[in-house]
Amino acid sequence: MKKLHALSLLATCLLASATVTWGAETPTITISKSDKIAIAIGALSGADGPQVAKILQNDLAMSGYFNVGPAANAGFIVGGTSSGTSLAGSVTDRAGKTVLSKTFNGTARGKVHAYADEIIETLTGNKGIADSKVAFVATHTGHKEIYVADADGSNVRQLTSDGTISVGPKLSPDGTKLVYTGYKSGYADVYEIDLNSGARNRIIKFPGTNIGACYSPNGRELAVILSKDGNPELYTTSAGGGSPHRLTHTPGVESSPTWSPSGDEIIYSSDDHGGPQLYRISASGGTGRLLSTGHGYNTEPNWSPDGKRVAFTVREGGFTIAILDLGSGNSHTVGSGEGPAWGADSRHLIFAEGGALILLDAQTGQKTTLVSGLGKISEPTWSR
Amino acid sequence: MKLIRLLSVTAFSLALLTFSGCVHGKNGAGGSGSGASDSDSVNGMALPERQDGVSFTGSNVDRNKFRPIYFGFDSHEISGEERGKIEEVANFMKSAPNNLIIAGFTDERGTPEYNRGLGERRAQAVREALIRAGADGSKIQTVSFGSEMPADSGSSEGAWAKNRRAEFGVVR
Repeated sequence: MKKLHALSLLATCLLASATVTWGAETPTITISKSDKIAIAIGALSGADGPQVAKILQNDLAMSGYFNVGPAANAGFIVGGTSSGTSLAGSVTDRAGKTVLSKTFNGTARGKVHAYADEIIETLTGNKGIADSKVAFVATHTGHKEIYVADADGSNVRQLTSDGTISVGPKLSPDGTKLVYTGYKSGYADVYEIDLNSGARNRIIKFPGTNIGACYSPNGRELAVILSKDGNPELYTTSAGGGSPHRLTHTPGVESSPTWSPSGDEIIYSSDDHGGPQLYRISASGGTGRLLSTGHGYNTEPNWSPDGKRVAFTVREGGFTIAILDLGSGNSHTVGSGEGPAWGADSRHLIFAEGGALILLDAQTGQKTTLVSGLGKISEPTWSR
Repeated sequence: MKLIRLLSVTAFSLALLTFSGCVHGKNGAGGSGSGASDSDSVNGMALPERQDGVSFTGSNVDRNKFRPIYFGFDSHEISGEERGKIEEVANFMKSAPNNLIIAGFTDERGTPEYNRGLGERRAQAVREALIRAGADGSKIQTVSFGSEMPADSGSSEGAWAKNRRAEFGVVR
């Protein structure tokens, strides 16, 4: 980590000096874009070199940490040699010193996404979002089915084809599995799909309605809402099913559990005292503690991987995305949309708006449409 | 599964024993006036095991025998006007051998996951009311479809009122 910080500091210095030295026309030192590192895509050899360059440029720009531009202004230059499933990446600084040299293996896009995340982690110390997966519900076929895609919106793949109702998908943090609620049996049951093999299992099928399943950060447990005891309540259970442990005992409706990064706590929505509000509870049990947001209708909470913030959906006329800072207790809205999910960098959010899947840089406010044209998209989830 | 079944039977029995008009509504509505908050660990009435191959949408279920119960916005309270329908179904359940599946629905104005929970809460509220009216809870199953399968696909107050409902599916 020390090394990363040193590099990050170095990058900042380089940028500042770049502004002074090469911004010859400007007498003042401006650091208006100082939070962005100037980087250039250099030589990428190999048959798919141009495609690699294009994906890389998009991934780096999407991260929010870089200004991707010409080599003359860049603090770092990204190069590499691509060959089949392998990509030998190399990043040099202005002095020609190598700051990153590593080979990545994977699919045509996967290897590039992995390279992009390594560049981001090396130069900023932050985890990248390029090599992650998103999943969501879409109505393209006339039914609600589950889809999965790369975090840049490419590689869209339809996962379920049941022609019933398939909803509430949640990716495992490592992106290898997905749980969702399916109505194939005529009841709402929790299914798990192994994304590598395609194997699907019905893992939770208690009487009543089984919804809201969400993997713990280590992927070994699920938080889930079950109504088998006569009311929708929050439970935890081992991933893959098993005997559930009940956490809440309220006459209200619990929904949408989300785990703290350590897996010690869960935040969920409950309408036990009027409109749905957010509550925080120990994953081992106890009493849910109200998280005051200043809004009357708070649902779909999603805890950031750094543990600091919770994004959620409020209803005020339409649906609005809000972010609660757990440290200060302050919350603010960031625009219309529903179903927010944090990326691995705790900086970007995806959510559904106007039937499309939207990416938001919560730091800059920049919005990008990731996926559209699949009917109405809802309930996105993001691996970490 | 044995243990789960045993536990759920136990919970169900406890619920029956302790259920004498106790508080089940949100904010204590529907309470008996005892003033006690519902901090009891037994909440609601545990569901029986499902019948294999039988579900609300199946061909062996009559979904039109009884009128739906309608609900207020974001509410699972059963209003006075709907009580007559509950009595009608409870009387049928007391004399007929059929099993019943109650399906809960919401209008389109909530978020999807909360709607699924609210639909289930509505179905469970109806189940509780039927049990209170003398029906055998071990013959009554619930399911929620949230805002899916609206009775009226419109986006007006009138359509929304028709969609906030619990329907009865009588297993033939």
